[in-house]
Amino acid sequence: MQKSLYLTSNGRLRRHENTLYFETEVEKRSIDIENVEQIHIFGEVDLNTKALNYISQYGIVLHFYNYYGFYAGSFLPRKKNVSGDVVVRQALHYLDREKRLFLAYCFVESAVYHMMRNLRERKEAEAFLIAIEDEWGKGRFNISNIAELMGLEGRIRNIYYQSFNQFLPEDFAMEKREKRPPTNPINALISFGNSLIYSHTLSQIYQTQLDPTISFLHEPSEKRFSLSLDISEIFKPLIVDTVIFKLLNNRQISLEHFDEDLNYCYLNQEGKKIFIKEFQSKLETTVRHRQLNRNVSYKGFIRLECYKLIKHFIGDQVYSPLKAWW
Amino acid sequence: MFVIVTYDINEKRVNKVRKILKKYFTWVQNSVFEGEITLGKLEKCKRELLSVIEKDEDSVYFYEMEYKLVCNKKVLGQEKNYDSIII
Repeated sequence: MQKSLYLTSNGRLRRHENTLYFETEVEKRSIDIENVEQIHIFGEVDLNTKALNYISQYGIVLHFYNYYGFYAGSFLPRKKNVSGDVVVRQALHYLDREKRLFLAYCFVESAVYHMMRNLRERKEAEAFLIAIEDEWGKGRFNISNIAELMGLEGRIRNIYYQSFNQFLPEDFAMEKREKRPPTNPINALISFGNSLIYSHTLSQIYQTQLDPTISFLHEPSEKRFSLSLDISEIFKPLIVDTVIFKLLNNRQISLEHFDEDLNYCYLNQEGKKIFIKEFQSKLETTVRHRQLNRNVSYKGFIRLECYKLIKHFIGDQVYSPLKAWW
Repeated sequence: MFVIVTYDINEKRVNKVRKILKKYFTWVQNSVFEGEITLGKLEKCKRELLSVIEKDEDSVYFYEMEYKLVCNKKVLGQEKNYDSIII
């Protein structure tokens, strides 16, 4: 399995002796470049074009995050899998109102399904589960445009986040979801997790023929890879939220893992490391796939989602979003 | 699959071999590398090595295991964690 590398310390990424070196003040470490798929950079890292050229030869994607752990951008090497045909058809699905709504609905449906799945096992959250079912049951049939769909999703997500208070430790109470910047620990965790899943999804999309800028649920605004946001929607409750629940309920992350500044809050170095470790092991967890009859990791499911979309675009098979059956 | 590589190479060529292995595996000890790798990449690595080594003088051992768990690695003394994905 191709691995993801996370650089949380400061240092220099260097091409040396035909492989990659990461040099920090304390150590100098060689990286087995053939086995790396993506590198996530959280620290202050220097690199030069010599390193970038070498990295791009191996098709490694670099993701950069700022000091607060927010996604800043990516270095994407020359794309190898391109297909004009798929891109044109993908765009056609965006332009057709009905087709676009169908795909957008699929993403939300799957996201809501996974949110309910998270709450189902928890007795404390029963009332919230019923509220979500109610909202979704009523709302899903009266959607005529994307804005309404987004509104419905927003309302459901609101109830969903409210329910966190019922089963997470008191230190991590959530009044409401806040972004940019998050003001309390639980919001910081969600934001950090979402940044990670967003870039992981982008890496997967990038290895398929899809164009990451043409999206369906989110508006394909010019400055973001919004298809990645669409697909992440499915995996946020499935991966990020479950990781957060696990870390908090097992007390692996506590308040000391956060730095609080004037009026915002973010994970510190140690906290990031714990989170990334759990996140990565979640991504590598495998589940037996019923149709493929082999084990597929969570990361693999993200890729499969891309393939399903391609099949949908070229008219091979209608897209049906992932609904975790295990 | 999980592979452990050890080698004994004439000093003239040892650096070349080390540089090739470094691309595919993580360094654990002097003359020892280990790591997870795909069959294809392992084959590629072996081809690269063959072009460098002298067959009647040098030797490279590959201990190939289907899963990492089979290996059941135990460490006495210092464990150097060179293969962690978080640096």
